[in-house]
Amino acid sequence: MMIDTSQQQEPDRRPPQLEDTQLALLNILGDFDAEKTQLEQTQTATFNILEDFNQEKARLEDAQRALLNILDDFDVEKAKVEQANLMLQSKSAELNVANEELQRARDTLEVRVEQRTAELQQRTSELEAANRELESFSYSVSHDLRAPLRSMDGFSLALVEDYGDKLDDQAKEYLSYIRSSSQLMGRLIDDILNLSRITRAEIHLDRVDFSALAEEVAEELRRAQPERRVEFVIAPHLEALADRNLLRLVLQNLLGNAFKFTGSRPAARIEFGVTAGDEPAYFVRDNGVGFDMAYANKLFKPFQRLHSDEEFSGTGVGLASVQRIIGRLGGRVWAEGHPGEGAVFYFTLHRS
Amino acid sequence: MPDKIILLVEDNPADVTLTLRAMKRSNIANEMVVARDGVEALDYLFGTGQYAGRDVAELPVVVLLDLKLPKIDGIEVLRRIRANPVTKPLPVVVLTSSREPSDLTACYDLACNSYVRKPVDFNQFAEAVKQLGLYWLVLNEPAAAGKPP
Repeated sequence: MMIDTSQQQEPDRRPPQLEDTQLALLNILGDFDAEKTQLEQTQTATFNILEDFNQEKARLEDAQRALLNILDDFDVEKAKVEQANLMLQSKSAELNVANEELQRARDTLEVRVEQRTAELQQRTSELEAANRELESFSYSVSHDLRAPLRSMDGFSLALVEDYGDKLDDQAKEYLSYIRSSSQLMGRLIDDILNLSRITRAEIHLDRVDFSALAEEVAEELRRAQPERRVEFVIAPHLEALADRNLLRLVLQNLLGNAFKFTGSRPAARIEFGVTAGDEPAYFVRDNGVGFDMAYANKLFKPFQRLHSDEEFSGTGVGLASVQRIIGRLGGRVWAEGHPGEGAVFYFTLHRS
Repeated sequence: MPDKIILLVEDNPADVTLTLRAMKRSNIANEMVVARDGVEALDYLFGTGQYAGRDVAELPVVVLLDLKLPKIDGIEVLRRIRANPVTKPLPVVVLTSSREPSDLTACYDLACNSYVRKPVDFNQFAEAVKQLGLYWLVLNEPAAAGKPP
């Protein structure tokens, strides 16, 4: 509403009270207009607010729906979790059962281990006792069995020396049998003792110059019978990880046998070397009298001989000793031969 | 040489006879005292028992000691010989049947002077006795302590 201010510029043409009233009225009208404007503004604001409220309400409803959805989902999840829990419980129960079984098995095992340990201890002490017995046996053999032989040999000789004029040739021959038998039995006793000593001896592993050891043994053999012509062919630079004393015994027996069984050969040849191939084996080869392969299984048995004492002397313990030593060093030994064509003895030292 | 006594400690009479025979063959004419077990040997050396009153300063020139003996064995005899200051320097030759490693170790630990194994073959045995006689009765100079001048 516009108020004409020009009317207010004419106070002198109307009575003053009327003018005041008119003025007041105009003011009221003016105020009313202002109120109206304000009301309109308020109404507009209220409308705005209501509109906002509706929007909020819609949003709240959305949120409520979302919440309900979440609650639904939660129920589903809760059900799943409960199911999973049930499964876990049953698994746990199964596990407990399994654990108990395991514990029982462990208890049983412990008992069995204890039993086994006790058995092993028992076995060990039995073995130790057997070993002690064996040692005292061989001690007794060593001391007591030789003395009577000495008497048999010594007094047979004494008879020949002191009463020779009263004995005829046959009596002297019988006495010589007693002597040679006593001496043979003395050697057998020594060999038995050596064989049992090999089984009991402690093994000291060492890097051994095998070629040099073979040369030493060959030299000993040459010196023992300098009149013989024997060619030793020893492969150079052979090394072995083994017990030196036991290896020496092996070579003394194998080279010694080769030396003995080439005795009738004008040009004896003895070879020591190692074979090529997947499983290299040491070998001792000779061109001596050889042997029939039909008897190959007898070679390494103690006191088994393939020759009479007149042909070749010996007690039949050498190769048995070799086999025991090679066995203790973790290898194996075997032989090839033909009658009249020499023999080859092979051996390995460690099972791979 | 007759003043030099040999003490033979040997329980086997056949071995005693053979040892004497071997010595005779090598012309060893020393007086031989035979002890038939360890106790007799110690009695002789220390002047006790059947040898009570014997002049213990008179030591034998050599003791030939068997190991397997009744009552007290050879190793124990050797131990007591070495434990006594008077008999400590006495030459002791172990003359026995065995060469068991345990015997060898024990005897050398107790400072035996030699260890000889009696061979079965009498000719070899006689040779060993001859060598022992030559060495201990002729070549070896004993310790002076045993006998007063």
